[in-house]
Amino acid sequence: MRWRVVMTSAVTLLAVVTVVFALPRAMPGDPLAALQDRSTATPISPEASAHLRSYYRLDRPLGSQYGHYLSRLARGDLGWSISRNVPVRTLVAAHLPWTLLLLGTSMAVAAATSFLAGVAAAWRRGRPLDRGLLATMTALRALPPYALAAFLLVVLAVLLPVFPLAGARTPFAAYGSPLGAVGDVGRHLVLPAAALGLSLLSTRFLLVRNTMVSSLGQDYMVLGRAKGLPPRLLKYRHGGRNALLPFVASLGVEAGFGVGFSILVESVFAYPGMGTLILRAVETRDYPVLEGAFLALALTVLSVNAAAELVMRRLDPRVAGR
Amino acid sequence: MTVVTAVGSRPLRPRRPTVPRIGWIGTAILGGFAALAVAAPLLAPYRATALSGRPLEPPSLAHLVGTNAVGQDLFTQLLSGVRAAMFVAVVAGSGAALLGGSIGVLAGWWGGGVDLVVMRAADVLLVIPRLPLLIVIVAYAGPGLGTRSTVIALTFWPEAAKVLRAQVRSLRHRDHLTAATGFGAGPSHSLRRHVVPEVGLVLASALVAAAGRAVMLEVGLAFLGLGDPNQASWGSIVRDALKFQGLFFTRAWAWWLLPPLLATGLLLAGITFIGLAAERWVNPRLARHVSGGRP
Repeated sequence: MRWRVVMTSAVTLLAVVTVVFALPRAMPGDPLAALQDRSTATPISPEASAHLRSYYRLDRPLGSQYGHYLSRLARGDLGWSISRNVPVRTLVAAHLPWTLLLLGTSMAVAAATSFLAGVAAAWRRGRPLDRGLLATMTALRALPPYALAAFLLVVLAVLLPVFPLAGARTPFAAYGSPLGAVGDVGRHLVLPAAALGLSLLSTRFLLVRNTMVSSLGQDYMVLGRAKGLPPRLLKYRHGGRNALLPFVASLGVEAGFGVGFSILVESVFAYPGMGTLILRAVETRDYPVLEGAFLALALTVLSVNAAAELVMRRLDPRVAGR
Repeated sequence: MTVVTAVGSRPLRPRRPTVPRIGWIGTAILGGFAALAVAAPLLAPYRATALSGRPLEPPSLAHLVGTNAVGQDLFTQLLSGVRAAMFVAVVAGSGAALLGGSIGVLAGWWGGGVDLVVMRAADVLLVIPRLPLLIVIVAYAGPGLGTRSTVIALTFWPEAAKVLRAQVRSLRHRDHLTAATGFGAGPSHSLRRHVVPEVGLVLASALVAAAGRAVMLEVGLAFLGLGDPNQASWGSIVRDALKFQGLFFTRAWAWWLLPPLLATGLLLAGITFIGLAAERWVNPRLARHVSGGRP
C-alpha cells in the first residue's frame, strides 16, 4: 500500500524535525545570557534583550514555540543565517543542486558498477577475477572518503594535472557555447564523483555478490542450465534479476551514507555544494544554517528512500503484501 | 568461553576454524597503534603547539615527518592523532556496541511493544543521514573528545542492535532455553547464563565494526573543523594542510597531507582485517560464502 510508505516517511521526517527543534533547547544555559553579561565589552540593554526574547519567541511556552516552528517549516522558511544575513532557504537553494548533481552522478555510476561487478564476481566465484574484486573492495571499504578524495586529488590533479584542483566551474570563464559550460562542469565533476562513487562501491558490491551466489544455487538455475539457456541469459535474466531486490532496497540507506560522504568529499575539493555550506557554517557556528542544511539533506534522503521502497513494491509484489 | 547446551550434558563445542592470517596482520597493526598511543608522551620530541622549526621543513632527523606552515613538528601532531583515534575507537566503539548490544538483546528477548518501539527508533536513525546529524549535535554539544565519543555512541548504536536482536530472536526458542525455563530459570538467569555467552562473539564482531566507524567519524569530524582545538587529530592535520593556500605549489603535501591519511587508512585497514577474521569466526558458513571456496 502506497500511503503506508508515505506515512512512514512523514513520521520519520517529523522525528527529525523534532530532534532539530529540541536540540538547542535541551542545551544548558540561556542563549541570551552571554549577551547580557555586564563584564563583556558589549552588554546589550535589558530592552534589547527583551526584544530579542520575544523576536525568537523564547518567552512563549515550548508547545507554542514548537507549533510556530512547524508552521514556519511548512511554509519553507528555514530561518535566517546569522553570519551571512540572508535567508537560510536562499543558501540551501544555491548549494543543494551541486550536491544533488554530485550525489546523483556517483550513485548512478556506483550502482551500475557494483551491480555488474557483483554479478561477474559471483558468476566466477573463487576464480582470480572474484578474488581480485574482493580484495579491491575490501581495500576500498577501509579507506575513508576524504582519504580517497585526497589521494585522487594528489595523483590526478597535482602529479598529473589532468583534472582541475577545486571548485565546480572555472572562475570567470566565458563559455563560447552551452556545450563548453557542460564540459567545464563535467571536468570539475570527475574527481569528486569518482571519490564518492568509489567509497559507495564496496558495500553494494558485497551485497550483490552474496545474493547472486545464493540465487545461483537455486533450482531454477539448474533447470535453466538443463534447458540449455545461453550463459548470458542465465547470468543476467535469471540470476542477476533476482539479486536486484535487496540491491534496490539498500539504495535508500546508500543515499544516507552518500550524503554524509559527499560533505567530506566536497570539503576536499572545495566543491560548492552542501558540504561547503556546512563547513562555513561550522566555522562561524551558524546554527540556523547547520539545521537548515541538515533538514534539507534529511528530506532528500527520505525521498530517495521512499522512492526505492515504491520501486521495490513494483518489482516484488510480495513486499507490498507484508 | 563455554557454550552451555543443557544441564548435565558435556558442553558441545563446534569445531573452531583457526584465526586466518589476515586477523593476525590486523592485530599486529592495531597493537602497534595501541603501543604508539600509550608511549606517545615519551616519544613526542616537542610539544604539539611548539614552534620547533622553520615553516614547511621537509622530513629530517630533527623533524621526522617535517613541519607545517607555522613550523610545528608534524610527527608530534601525528602521535597526538594516534591517541585521539585510539581513544575514540575504544570509547565510542565499545559505547556504541554495548549500548546497541544491550538494546538489541533486550528487544529480541522481550519482543512485543518494547521491541517495536526500539526497532522503529533504530530504523529512523538508520534512514536519516547521520553524519549531518552528528555535525549538528557536535556543533551544539562541543568538540571535546569525550563529548564526541558519547555523541557517536548515541547515534551509531542501531547497527549493533539490529545484529544482536536477530541473534537473540533466533536463540529465543531453542530447546535448551525452553528446557531452562521448564526447570524454573527466570529471564535474568536465562539471559545471563545462556543468551549472553552465545552472543558474545557476535557482540565482539559488532564491537570491531563500531570501532572502525568511530575512527572514521572522529577523523572526519576533526577534518570538518569539529575537533578539539587543544588536541591535534589526523583530521585536523589534513584540514590545516588543505586550508593552506600554497600546499600544492610546494612539495609540502608529501609530508603534511599524506601521512595523516596513510595513518588513518592503515588503522582502518587493521580494524577491517580483524573484523573480517571475526566474521569468519562467528559465521564460518558465511565466510565460505564470501571468501569464495568452491562448495
